[in-house]
Amino acid sequence: MTDLRSFIPPYILHRIVAHGSEHQRSSAMSTLAHVRTLRHTPGPPVRPVAAAILPAPGKRGQVQRSVHDAQGKMLLPGMPVRLEGQAPSGDPAVDEAYDALGASYDFYWKVLGRDSIDDKGFALIGSVHYGQDYENAFWNGSQMVFGDGDGEIFQRFTRSLDVVGHELTHGVVESEAGLVYADQSGALNESLSDVFGVLTKQYLLGHTADQADWLIGADLLTPRIKGIGLRSMAHPGTAYDDPLLGKDPQPDHMRKFVITQEDNGGVHINSGIPNRAFYLAAKAMGGFAWEHAGLIWYDALCDKRLSRETSFSAFAKLTVEHAQRRFTANHAGAVQHGWSEVGVDPTREEP
Amino acid sequence: MNTLPTLDERAVVCLSRQGGFAAIKSLTRPREIDFAQCSLDQRSRICDLLEGCLPLDSSVAGGGDQRFYQIELHYRKGEQDDQMVFKVPENQAPDELVRLWDSGELS
Repeated sequence: MTDLRSFIPPYILHRIVAHGSEHQRSSAMSTLAHVRTLRHTPGPPVRPVAAAILPAPGKRGQVQRSVHDAQGKMLLPGMPVRLEGQAPSGDPAVDEAYDALGASYDFYWKVLGRDSIDDKGFALIGSVHYGQDYENAFWNGSQMVFGDGDGEIFQRFTRSLDVVGHELTHGVVESEAGLVYADQSGALNESLSDVFGVLTKQYLLGHTADQADWLIGADLLTPRIKGIGLRSMAHPGTAYDDPLLGKDPQPDHMRKFVITQEDNGGVHINSGIPNRAFYLAAKAMGGFAWEHAGLIWYDALCDKRLSRETSFSAFAKLTVEHAQRRFTANHAGAVQHGWSEVGVDPTREEP
Repeated sequence: MNTLPTLDERAVVCLSRQGGFAAIKSLTRPREIDFAQCSLDQRSRICDLLEGCLPLDSSVAGGGDQRFYQIELHYRKGEQDDQMVFKVPENQAPDELVRLWDSGELS
């Protein structure tokens, strides 16, 4: 019979379990159990096979990176092209990914005192040239993946540092809080990735809250698209307005919260609300956003009281508490005001 | 595990590719397949495909900006309208599902 450990889609395996001979059923069930172990569930990151070509985590504060070329296929991780400490490859996507992973690691280590995704030196693996004209970047539970874009709407996804920081932060959020990727907790998950992605960019550029553009994906859209980025944290709903893409649908206030069955309850839409709350708090505090607002948001993310299915208001309450604990009543007031301006009440009791 | 409801000529199947870092409505390219416009053979093949996709349904599809195919079934159950929604992660989607979403046809 056919070796069921070769690549067979799970839906066929389920059919074999239902209709096959005893031996076939046994093999199919064994393979399905293996497939389930590969599936991505929230929690600590899974050490990717590709990490085997890197040294084991050593001294805290030392990044370990490897960037791979998926060569237009959708198989991960692809061919290793640039490992930690190696010279630039000459491929812009590879070198952008390598530099951005390093900048993101530096931000987490130097500003937040976190040693990579799991705070235990997790190796940062990135794959570029994934798929054909692939219009996406993602975190799959063990590594980051970047498409080249189609060249008409999107350019390659490694062009924006905040995109790389955003994907890395998905690993941090999963590892730390495991926020469920749906509805308000999902939108908060997305917002936290935007927050720490944009702070990574501001930290590298040395921009204060006043100087920063507060845009997500400012370098992604091609010149033919009428837009300045994918999302605006300062003014959600204003990033693009284009005949092909439509108008940026992000709300900037709870009264405009979008209830939808799409995108897991609009996680990439409703993230505009907590995004603006962070922006307002950071602007009110002034200076570099990572020095106060960023630390407060990070404290709240790491607070063990944060529920996996948190609401905006429950998270907001934690941020106010941490602002008071780490800084002053003025900081707590700025955070409270930021949330109030977007219609989130940090004092509301959760059901 | 869910089972596929009976989909007769009054059923409508909606497919879209959702999620991702650039989750933009127009890029989901929603496709609507009205069973009233399909032959019995076409309906049967689509139902076989959908039945094969049911075990791939994942409540965590989309996490970390991973894209997924959302399948919505709108159908009549007795005298009432009913619907079923499930999600297939992009990296597990059968080629036939991608083809149906992309071109509205099966091979």
